[in-house]
Amino acid sequence: MKELNPLLHSQLRLAIMSILMNVEEADFVYLKEKTESTAGNLSVQIDKLSSAGYISVEKGMSGNRPRTLCSITEDGIKAFEEYVDVLKSYLNL
Amino acid sequence: MEDKKLTEKESLEVITSMIARTKARYLGSGNILLMWGYLAVFSSILVWILLAATRQNVWNWLWFAIPVIGMPLTSIMARREKRTDGVVTYSDKITSHLWSIFGVSEIVLTLICLGFSLIGGIKCWTAMIVYTIIAAPFAEIAQGLIVKEKSLTWGGIVGLAIGMVLVCCVTGKIPLLANWFMPLFILFWVVMMIVPGHIINHKAKKG
Repeated sequence: MKELNPLLHSQLRLAIMSILMNVEEADFVYLKEKTESTAGNLSVQIDKLSSAGYISVEKGMSGNRPRTLCSITEDGIKAFEEYVDVLKSYLNL
Repeated sequence: MEDKKLTEKESLEVITSMIARTKARYLGSGNILLMWGYLAVFSSILVWILLAATRQNVWNWLWFAIPVIGMPLTSIMARREKRTDGVVTYSDKITSHLWSIFGVSEIVLTLICLGFSLIGGIKCWTAMIVYTIIAAPFAEIAQGLIVKEKSLTWGGIVGLAIGMVLVCCVTGKIPLLANWFMPLFILFWVVMMIVPGHIINHKAKKG
């Protein structure tokens, strides 16, 4: 049986990817609120997903506050779909 | 939530829980609708009063106050809403593009009408009214169906019905006299923008 993608097989990274599969883009505050995670941990996991090319991260300013916008990439969509397919085979769905 | 390894069952739970959380998104505010609605209604009343009081057609240029004020305000308000929400969904993107296409087409039509008027001396401003009262309800009905908001869908349907009556009047060469056209035009904006705007804001307040 195929192995689950280790990069996605983590609670917070999977949560981030699941959210970004459902929206066009989300900012850091929204992701933090929906995943109920700490800012430090979320930031680390976003960097890991971004380095893998699964999400794109755009840093900018909103008024005089910094704003980080995340969106899923084509590679991210493919990886997530593959993850779900493997998950289904594990769970016999 | 932490960076911990999951069982397969837990993975599935994370995915379904995140999908549910992103679905339970608040509808947004009706402030942009209200801004357009009140702007159009106040401009109509102002033009109506000035035309009736002075009998000078020059006051018709005041119609341009609607896009000149409304378009930049929409841009500012939309940016602020996006900042507050922190998220853009597919339906947000579609509805935003839908209204942008409508806005751009209105600008193009204005330029065409100006061209006809200035170069050819042909007055075809009625085309603006006809286009607005048909295209705007279609955009609103589509938005209502996409975001599943009945007040928008029904506002658009009533607006379209008013629009169709006015189109028949124009093609049937019935003069659009201010004493009946203006109240109907104001009603058009009230049902299309003001009523749905207040309903959406009320829903947003209720949470």
